[in-house]
Amino acid sequence: MEIDVKHIAKLAKLDIPEAELGKMEKELSSIVAMVEKLPELTSKESLLDPQNTMQLRPDEVKPSFPREEMLKNVPETAAGCLMVPKVVE
Amino acid sequence: MKKLYEHSATELAAMLRAKEVSAVEITKATLGRMEEVESKVDAFLTVTAEQALQQAQQVDETIAAGKPLAPLAGIPVAIKDNICTKGVRSTCASRMLENFVPHYNATVMEKLAAQGAVLPGKLNMDEFAMGGSCENSYFKPTKNPWDTTRVPGGSSGGSAASVASCEVPLALGSDTGGSIRCPASFCGIVGLKPTYGAVSRYGLVAFASSLDQIGPFGRTVDDVALLYRAICGRDPKDATSREAALGEIEAKVKGLRLGVPKEYFGDGISAEVKTAVYGAIETLKGLGADVVEISLPSTDYALAAYYIISSAEASSNLARYDGVKYGFSGRRDGTLNDLYLSTRSEGFGAEVKRRIMLGTHVLSSGYYDAYYKRAKLLQNVIAKEFTDAFASCDLIVTPVNPTTAFKLGEKVSDPVQMYATDICTVTVNIAGLPGLSLPCGMGEGGLPIGMQLIGPKFSEARLLSVAKSYETAVGGFAVKEM
Repeated sequence: MEIDVKHIAKLAKLDIPEAELGKMEKELSSIVAMVEKLPELTSKESLLDPQNTMQLRPDEVKPSFPREEMLKNVPETAAGCLMVPKVVE
Repeated sequence: MKKLYEHSATELAAMLRAKEVSAVEITKATLGRMEEVESKVDAFLTVTAEQALQQAQQVDETIAAGKPLAPLAGIPVAIKDNICTKGVRSTCASRMLENFVPHYNATVMEKLAAQGAVLPGKLNMDEFAMGGSCENSYFKPTKNPWDTTRVPGGSSGGSAASVASCEVPLALGSDTGGSIRCPASFCGIVGLKPTYGAVSRYGLVAFASSLDQIGPFGRTVDDVALLYRAICGRDPKDATSREAALGEIEAKVKGLRLGVPKEYFGDGISAEVKTAVYGAIETLKGLGADVVEISLPSTDYALAAYYIISSAEASSNLARYDGVKYGFSGRRDGTLNDLYLSTRSEGFGAEVKRRIMLGTHVLSSGYYDAYYKRAKLLQNVIAKEFTDAFASCDLIVTPVNPTTAFKLGEKVSDPVQMYATDICTVTVNIAGLPGLSLPCGMGEGGLPIGMQLIGPKFSEARLLSVAKSYETAVGGFAVKEM
C-alpha cells in the first residue's frame, strides 16, 4: 500500500527531510505489512473493558500548583504568561 | 562475607531493624557501588547523592528516636526517568525533556517517600519508553552487566541493569509491551508488570495509556513483593487505578495447574530458551504442579495489534510536546507552526518519530476502521482467550524473550526485527493481566534466560508465590560479579 509520508508528517507536525522520506516510507510500509495480517473481525462488541470502568473523581474546587512553580519549565514567559510567536496579524 | 551492596532489600531492612547497619551506611554503600561500576553499566542519567544521604539521615533519626519504621525505610530505590520526581529532572531519556524538572511527584514517589525509601537517582531507558534494548536513549545506551557488549533489554534497561549489577537493591520501571519483563529477563533478575490498574500512573509520562503500567525490579522474589506492596492501590488521581493489596507471600505450588500455551514455543523462540523454560516447568512439576496444555490462537496477531494501539495512543499523547508549555523549544523567529515543527523534529529521536508517524497514519481519515478499530476488537478476542484459558489452569508459563540478550547495535537498523522481540510479552498488556519475569537458567555465553508467569487480573500474590517456590527450589538466582 502507498503511504503518503509527507501528508502524515504534516498531520503529525514533524519535518521529515526530503532525503529521509524514502527510508521512512519503507520502514512504515514494513510495519503496516505486519498490521495487514490482522484477521477481519465483524464483532460489534464494545471497545471498552466492562470490568475496568474508570472511576472519575468528583469535580471539586481545590488548590492547584503555584503559578511560579508551573512557569519554571516554560521556555518563554512574559508577565506570568506563556509566550508563542504571533498568530494573528 | 557478603558486601553491603550485595544484600537484598529484605535483608537490608532486617539489618536496619537489628541495628547492624545504619541507613546512611546503606546509602553510602549504594553510592559507592554506583561509582565503582557505573562507567561499565551506564544505568543512571541523574545521580542524587546529596538528597539520598539526607533521606537516609532522616531514617536514622527516626530509628534513634525509637519510632516505628515503614517496610522500605532506608532502602535505596532507583527510578526510571519517565516517572516524575519533584525537583529532580525527569528526562524520559529524550532531548525533548532534557531540562524538565517536575514540580510534583508521581503518586508512586509520594508512596515511597512516605515510607522513607531513599532515591539515589534516575535511570536510563529507551526514549519515551519506546524500544526493547535501551539503545534509543538520547543520552547513551545502557549495557548488560552480564556482558557489557550486549543490550540490557528495554525499555526499562537502566532499571534492570542497576539492580543486576548491585548498584541498587530495588528499582521501578514501566511496562507497555514488555518493558519491565524483557530487561529483567536479559539481566537475570525478577520483574513484575502488575495488572492494569493495580498501580497509579499519575506522574508517569504517558506513552500508551491503555497499556502502561509501573512495576518493580529486584534480585529476589521477596524484594519485588516488598516494592509492589508499597506502590499498589487505588489513587483518585488515576481514574483507571483500582483497589489492590498484597499480603504475605508464601511458597506454594502443590496442586496448581500450570497452563503451557503451544503458540509461545514456536519456531521464533530459540532452542536454548525453550529448553530452559521447559526445564523450569519440570521443576515446578516436581514441586507438585500439574501441567495442562492450552491454546491462545490469536497470539500471532498480537504484535500487530499492539503496534497499532500503542502507536495510535502515543501519537495522541505526544501531541503535547509543542515547545510552548515545557521541554525543548525550537525556533521562535517564524510562525507558531514553525515552532511546532522545529520543536518536534529536533526534540524527538528517530524511533519516537517513527511511532508518531505510524500512529498518525493508523488514526488518519479513512484508516481508523481498518487499523485502530480492528486492533481494539482483536484486543477483546485476545483478552477473552486468556479468560477462557484460566478456566482450565491457574497460571500460564511462557518464555519472556525469544533469545538471550543481543549485541549492542545488532538490531537497531531493522524496526520490525526489533519489534519481534516483544512477541511473548505484548499479549499480557493487551489483556491487562499481571506478568512476572524470573530467571530460569543460563544460555550460551553465560547469558540469563527468563520465564514469564501470567495470571488472571489481580493474581499478583499467586504469581509471586509460585515464583518464590521456584526460587527456593533452585537455591536462589545467580548474581553477576563485576
